Amino acid sequence: MLVVSLIIALFFLVMFIWATRSGQFDDDYTPSVRMLFEDEHKQKENHGNPEI
Amino acid sequence: MERICFHCGDNLGKKPLQFDDKYFCCIGCKGVYLLLKENHLTDFYSYESNPGLKPLTSSQDKYAFLDLPEIRQRFIRFEDDRIAKVSLSLPNIHCSSCIFLLENAHKANSKIIHSQVNFTKKLASITFLTKEMQLSELALFFDRIGYPPNFQQKKETLETNKSFILKLGLAGFAFGSIMLWSFPEYTRNGAEDNSFRYFTSWLAFLVSLPVLLYSASEYYISAYKSLRAKHLNLDIPITLGILALYAQSVYSIIHYEGPGYMDSFAGFIFFLLIGKWFQNRTYQSLSFDRDYTSYFPLAVRKIKENTEEIIPIETIEIDDLLKIRNQEVIPCDSILMDDKAEIDYSFVTGESVGVSVVKNSMLYAGGKLLNASITVEVKEITDRSYLTQLWNEQLDKKKTSTYQRYQDRVAAYFLWAVLIICVISMLCYLIIAPALIMKVVVSVLIVACPCALALSTPFAFGNAMRKMGQLGLYLKNSDVVEKLAEIDVIVLDKTGTLTDTRLTEVKQVRTIEKSSDLSIFISMVESSTHPISSAIYAHLTSNHENKKTVHFDSFDERVGNGLIATINSDVFKLGSASFTNQNMGVKGVFFTKNDVLITFFIVQSTFREGLSSLLNQIKLNHEIYVLSGDNNKELSALIDLGFNEQNIFFNQTPQSKLDFIEFLQNKGKRVMMVGDGLNDAPALAQANVGIAISEDMFKFTPSSDAILDAHQLKNIPNFIGISKFAKVVLRVCLAFSITYNIVGILFAVTAKLTPLVAAILMPMSSITIVGLSTFLIYFRYLRLKN
Repeated sequence: MLVVSLIIALFFLVMFIWATRSGQFDDDYTPSVRMLFEDEHKQKENHGNPEI
Repeated sequence: MERICFHCGDNLGKKPLQFDDKYFCCIGCKGVYLLLKENHLTDFYSYESNPGLKPLTSSQDKYAFLDLPEIRQRFIRFEDDRIAKVSLSLPNIHCSSCIFLLENAHKANSKIIHSQVNFTKKLASITFLTKEMQLSELALFFDRIGYPPNFQQKKETLETNKSFILKLGLAGFAFGSIMLWSFPEYTRNGAEDNSFRYFTSWLAFLVSLPVLLYSASEYYISAYKSLRAKHLNLDIPITLGILALYAQSVYSIIHYEGPGYMDSFAGFIFFLLIGKWFQNRTYQSLSFDRDYTSYFPLAVRKIKENTEEIIPIETIEIDDLLKIRNQEVIPCDSILMDDKAEIDYSFVTGESVGVSVVKNSMLYAGGKLLNASITVEVKEITDRSYLTQLWNEQLDKKKTSTYQRYQDRVAAYFLWAVLIICVISMLCYLIIAPALIMKVVVSVLIVACPCALALSTPFAFGNAMRKMGQLGLYLKNSDVVEKLAEIDVIVLDKTGTLTDTRLTEVKQVRTIEKSSDLSIFISMVESSTHPISSAIYAHLTSNHENKKTVHFDSFDERVGNGLIATINSDVFKLGSASFTNQNMGVKGVFFTKNDVLITFFIVQSTFREGLSSLLNQIKLNHEIYVLSGDNNKELSALIDLGFNEQNIFFNQTPQSKLDFIEFLQNKGKRVMMVGDGLNDAPALAQANVGIAISEDMFKFTPSSDAILDAHQLKNIPNFIGISKFAKVVLRVCLAFSITYNIVGILFAVTAKLTPLVAAILMPMSSITIVGLSTFLIYFRYLRLKN
């Protein structure tokens, strides 16, 4: 039981190190704004579907 | 109804443009709107109101220098056959709409493939098709939509400190995990199954090893360097605490007594790193260390056999002929080849009014050309020009940083206190119970860890820095907060600092009775390129609408004197008192007709608002001086504002400003200097706190400790107040941390310290400090929010 939780914990640590080294945390503000932009595809879809 | 431009929000001028039921202030804004509309990017307007920026009307070849291979290479980060990647600094990025537009640039320009914005650093990484678009075209594209790229910045380290994030994450992981595994230790009530305990102890040991060796490494290095320099800083007791915690815990683990203090160890390092992280979050998009080379252009126009070619500034040679255009900076000392020119030296020498020069006179590097283009012959390259040499000499004087932070002074007392307690308890236990000596001494070293002490400074000053940033003063680092609180003398530059160089005030002392005379005078100033003439022209035409251009029989502009025009037999003169033969004893610009005075003007720079109240507030506790590179024509205006006549000095050179500050410092004063131009750079470097004032946060500012938004000059008393309050907060935090230390030491000397006690004390003290400092600073200054 303990070993399993340990493996999971280590997995997250490794993921954290990998993410940092590949630049995930270089910019911690812009992604928060970026995710609020609407995708163009979704927009077109919405315009296409009639209101039910 | 006041209407504003749909794109940029500026007031609509007299002739607004209309399109699609929307109004625009200028063709630039309308153009950007059209571009966005065509490419289905009108969501741009939905994220913020009037988010656009008015594009400048830049000339086609503004960025031509970027196509020179030597210069292009500096900015291209990657290139292959098809694409190239460039990282552009776009200082105008200011809101979410900007991010939207810039990241969708590929929709508006098919030659751009991808763009990604880093908002905090105001950078955009652009991938574009190399074969189809020149770098200059790319730059021009962004310029035209309102985001002119800035190429003057020194190559800042764009790499974030990844290793710091790793250290922090590792320490956090260790802290959380080890504390979780140590939980049974806190609630032990004699349980017999020890296998779990042994397992988690060794786990804790394994996990804490990288924390010891990697996460905390900065502290050992700093402590070692400090010892070598024979100074005491707070990192020494921190290192002691770390080692004591670790050693005791390893001892426990080896002797199968449980994980010892590993949880507090990891927690200690984690909290320390958080403090460091908070302290180091500076303003990444501002530059506090620009030297004069950032002020000069990257490339200039050289004239060779009747053609112009663009060359990098470093390749200029003596006797080259250069072409300099309106608003461009003169790159090196040279001789004027044209008949006359107007040069603005305000940034360089502090003279507030443009200087008229004639053919064959010397133009100095750093001056800005006003009006018509000129040709010059180079006499001295940029690095060896008169003024740049001056800056080089003075800036070479490295300001030796013997400044000792308050927290380091406290560290000395702290160390002594800990040592004394150790010795006393050793002696006591020698008598009472010798077996417990080791335990007690180690306990004291463990619990006297200055975690809360070490967090007080970053959080007290870090919060103060943030507050000041919100109000318009951006500090280079948190040391400046301390220095700001200690100053007793304030030295102000005049031109550009106290005055707003973009505006000139014209006071007309008499009205002109005859409208025919008025038309003549308006036509005279219209024909002159001198800045004073432009100011008078603006003043006269704002009140009177008639614009009949009068034709003169003769018209002449006498450099240094004034204008003279004749119609029929009447002689009209506009100029200085001596030129117009007036003896009024006042400095001004006189209009005469046939030597009879019609009217005269007093032309002044406009002083920033709020100066009188600023002076009233700071006069109480500080000495104030004004040093100006200008002549003394505005002495009376300064006195009216409230400055003391004996504390105002004119005609100051960069060297004399520096000398004055040194003179004050030798008298034991701590000096704050506020300046804007290159003529202030040496003084700013010498002062205890050097503040560069700026209209536009991203234009060049000389090297400084802080950058102040020009509109906030009147808030200087508030900034000093925040700094002083931050020092008070620091002392309060220190008092709290000492209280925690005392409680801990009581446990330690009575040999009652257990991992549970340590695990409670440490986080509690840290949270108290963080919460207290934030709470105090933000609530005290809540009303000041701008």
